[in-house]
Amino acid sequence: MSLMTRITDRVGLGWRPKLAAGILSNLDRIDIVEVIADDFFNAPRRERRALRTLAAQSPITLHGVSLGLASSVPVEPKRLDQMARLCAEVTPVSWSEHLAFVRGGGVEIGHLAAPPRTAATIDGALANLARATTIVGVAPQVENVATLIDPPGSDRDEATWVSEIVRGSSCDLLLDLHNLYANALNFNFDPVDFIARIPAESIAAIHLAGGKWIGAQGARRLLDDHLHDVPDPVYDLLAETAARATRSLTVILERDGDFPAIGCLLQQLDRARQALAHGRARMVDEAEEEAAA
Amino acid sequence: MNPFDLRGPEFLVFYFILSAVVIVALILIRRASESDSAPKLDLADPYLIAYLRGGDNEALRVAMVSLIDRGLLIVYGTQIQRASNARPDSVRRPIERALLETYARPGEATSIFNDSKLKSACASYEETLKKNRLLPDQLVVNARLTRFMLALFVLGGVGGIKILVALDRGRTNVTFLAVLTIIAIVLAYKVSFPRLTGRGKAMLADIQSLYSGLKDRASFIRPGGATIEPMMLAAAFGVGALAGDGFAYTKTLFPRAQKSASGSSCGSSCGSSCGSSCGGGGCGGGCGGCGG
Repeated sequence: MSLMTRITDRVGLGWRPKLAAGILSNLDRIDIVEVIADDFFNAPRRERRALRTLAAQSPITLHGVSLGLASSVPVEPKRLDQMARLCAEVTPVSWSEHLAFVRGGGVEIGHLAAPPRTAATIDGALANLARATTIVGVAPQVENVATLIDPPGSDRDEATWVSEIVRGSSCDLLLDLHNLYANALNFNFDPVDFIARIPAESIAAIHLAGGKWIGAQGARRLLDDHLHDVPDPVYDLLAETAARATRSLTVILERDGDFPAIGCLLQQLDRARQALAHGRARMVDEAEEEAAA
Repeated sequence: MNPFDLRGPEFLVFYFILSAVVIVALILIRRASESDSAPKLDLADPYLIAYLRGGDNEALRVAMVSLIDRGLLIVYGTQIQRASNARPDSVRRPIERALLETYARPGEATSIFNDSKLKSACASYEETLKKNRLLPDQLVVNARLTRFMLALFVLGGVGGIKILVALDRGRTNVTFLAVLTIIAIVLAYKVSFPRLTGRGKAMLADIQSLYSGLKDRASFIRPGGATIEPMMLAAAFGVGALAGDGFAYTKTLFPRAQKSASGSSCGSSCGSSCGSSCGGGGCGGGCGGCGG
């Protein structure tokens, strides 16, 4: 079987209630829908049933935002139980969570914070991921996060830290390309080099989003706010990832507000498909060149 | 104890309880037998959703509003006429084509509800919904009929026998029981034959739940056919849910639809945890969007 016949990439959109009409009336152009799992943990039965109905219309993937897996603090079993129940109810194609911490000392920080990149946080993340896999029954995909400050106390860079967690767990990587792009600009590293250094065989999903510049001249930071269109360089990173990833990719466009017309979001999905196609074509060319050599 | 030996008031209490049990059993058995997981449906078709909600009248209402919104039909008070530049073959769906053909000459908007040609344009929706067991197909109708006949046998039989026993014993004060028997049978009929199946009712509720975000911001939805949002809103909740000034004509055309839509409730949708955790769009991480 050829490389390309094994690969079936999917491109989809994050479910937001305000996008409901646009999403449900364009399911022929949306391969998969990503749902924020936490919205349904304590939702009434009626809303959970509606989610099952949504899952009957389109493949869905669940995305967690509150587990806080990358932490030396053990993940709360109650939250994992909620995720497990939701997964059992809607049978998503996958579920994912961030490599971040969201609480400490019993205080919810309301934010996906990047932990120090150390052996201790890797150990904590691996323990939490093992716990999550046991309770939910399926390993989560883990997502790199955007950060406005370089985590103090770190003794390794982000690519090393993420790779060690992915290699040490049974988890696939959800590579958020706008988070990567923002971090690369904010902390002056090469995102293509990052992609080259992470285990290509573990990349299973991609997030695309947009952001804006904040801060005064000289201390400017790119904020990953999900309120803007996907910038061109992120599509280039998608093509780069597609050229290296050896598995089918699920690409999700995330938009959390300032919603444009659905047509605009669908155009961004089309651009993502084009970038994927370019990357995959490059992968085939390189494989053929390698075989010929 | 023979219930037919009970005195009048006691028997009325007994019969009332029996009727309640039979009716509740009818509801529960019907729900259990007609419930199933949601089917995959073409949710891009607002007329299919409207048909699910209210049959051909609702599908026609939404289709008419859609054509008006796109400038293909023109409103003159309560009358409708096809726009001079609109051609029936320029639209995709049979229901829209049929409406454009019907209003080649001016006519009352409400005449759509009595037009057999327009109703036949909705036949495919009925077929699709029956095929997916959202509307009762023949099998479901037969099962419902069987259950109703059993209920009729019990309610009519017990009530009838007691009336005969009473009359045989020279008592003629059977009016209350006769009335109660008729009410019980009518109620049993009503709960036995709702328009939607259990699966259809759940599917409609789910669609309304998924679209609840749309209803929350109905007053901001603009006319002009630029997006499908107004039609999805009308399909899921009725044309009365179109709240903006640009849809004021719907109040004139369909005053009854306005009342029924304003009386309906759908509850709120799931709130995004993003909004709650970020408190706006400015946080640099947060959920889903914020660094996620």
